[in-house]
Amino acid sequence: MSLTTLAQTLASGALLGCFYTLMALAFSMVLSVTRALNLAHGDLIILGGYLGYWFWSGSGLHPLLLVPVAGAALLPLALLWQWLFNRLPEPKELSSLVLTFGLSLLLQNIMLALWRGEYRLIASESLTGSIRLGGLRLNQGRLIVAAAALAAVGGLYLALTRTRWGRAVRATSLDREAAALLGINVDQATRTTFLLALALSGGAGVLFATLHYLYPAGGIELTLLAIVLTIWAGVGRLRSVLVAGVLLGVIEALTVAWSGPRWRELVVALLLLASLLARSGGLAGGRSH
Amino acid sequence: MSAPLLSVEGVQAGYDDILVLKDCSLEVRAGEFIALVGPNGAGKSTLLRAITGLLPVRAGAIRLDGDRIDGLPPYAIAARGLTMIPEGRRLFAPLTVRENLELGAFLRRAPGQQQETLHLIFRLFPVLREKALAPAGVLSGGEQQMLALARGLMARPRLLCLDDPFLGLSRLVTNRFCQAIREITAGGMTILAAGQHVRRLLRLAHRAYLLDEGHVVLSGPGPGLLEDERLRRTLLELIPEVDRPIG
Repeated sequence: MSLTTLAQTLASGALLGCFYTLMALAFSMVLSVTRALNLAHGDLIILGGYLGYWFWSGSGLHPLLLVPVAGAALLPLALLWQWLFNRLPEPKELSSLVLTFGLSLLLQNIMLALWRGEYRLIASESLTGSIRLGGLRLNQGRLIVAAAALAAVGGLYLALTRTRWGRAVRATSLDREAAALLGINVDQATRTTFLLALALSGGAGVLFATLHYLYPAGGIELTLLAIVLTIWAGVGRLRSVLVAGVLLGVIEALTVAWSGPRWRELVVALLLLASLLARSGGLAGGRSH
Repeated sequence: MSAPLLSVEGVQAGYDDILVLKDCSLEVRAGEFIALVGPNGAGKSTLLRAITGLLPVRAGAIRLDGDRIDGLPPYAIAARGLTMIPEGRRLFAPLTVRENLELGAFLRRAPGQQQETLHLIFRLFPVLREKALAPAGVLSGGEQQMLALARGLMARPRLLCLDDPFLGLSRLVTNRFCQAIREITAGGMTILAAGQHVRRLLRLAHRAYLLDEGHVVLSGPGPGLLEDERLRRTLLELIPEVDRPIG
């Protein structure tokens, strides 16, 4: 592999990694405020992608404009999700697995019924072409996706660290009762975080659909990636999620460049195993006091 | 006499099938330090959890300044000026000391007021100023208890509940802590404190209530209650073991 090819692979992997970060953040936000593992996370992203594809093929609008549209379109579903989550018996970490596994299958079959099994891609002309940067050729679509994902992640970071809402959300995710005793409306913090996370997932789906072909069962892999990143980075640790996301994108790109695409999923699965072994304390392990 | 700041009237509360509080009534007047003592399992923590809204009240009424607060969510009760330092401190461990204090002042939007309270806190507990940027989780047990109290004070509550404030503290730290509480009470703060350190609490208290098996069985002025035969009988084994006379 020449140096240029290597640099090219690293760059395009890092760009994809920005998208992974956005996706994993949405997953981790839900986990931190509701303690529910949302196994249907990837399916919601795929649904957002299908909705984006549907709007795009109907309207011909620029895919970036459809990101907020798909995000908003998932909000009614988010309300339903939350209603279900509120009714989960303890321990929520466990019972949410059963619920969301079922929801994941349900969503996959609904998408199969609505869009059949055909592969779809938002192949907008505005996203093709590439930009030369030194010796590198960067795909314009990937650049836009990475920029949009980074903007969302950055906005989220500022909102969580600099605003009153963000302080309420962080306190709620760390200790619900202690937060409530200080006058923080924990129900509202949970509700807004949840809605925001699902809207971000829907928007991320549109970005995803410009990079990869959509198919109804494609969400499983995204859920797996989100779980890997959350374990790597720790729940609610924003900067670590960014580092982990970019790293995962790079590792994946290198694997594909060296040994072909069929090894990709195996490498991700191995990473999951390795990170579980390294963090045997559990999802939030390693840093607890 | 003026209306009480807090009145608990015939309250029942519990967990699942178990009724812990069977019939509890008490009053807290503005400026008082009220101690709530009783053997393990008497319902002290349960009563505080019911008052702060963490546990639903099944019967009876709780009033703050004459207004019913039972049935309100804990954050709404906190917004009316009633907060609690929960048992086990419940700090936000990964956040810094300063961030914990800022969250304590979540309800107070004016930064000027916060500064004033912060000065008081740093005077009472200088160590919190020194460690302002350290994560709360790395503080020692005593420092964490100070931070928990300070976080509660940042809200400038009208009524501050303390659940077992001396649990697990060394005698030295407990002495410091009692001193701080005396200063705070002298400043006009109203406090309702529950715990097992009977002597300590009763010596601080203006008045005290003895809780046994979910009932308020005795009440009276703090130091006087310490001499009461019934209290001695209920807490017979507790008094000499749990704390010794202050030196």
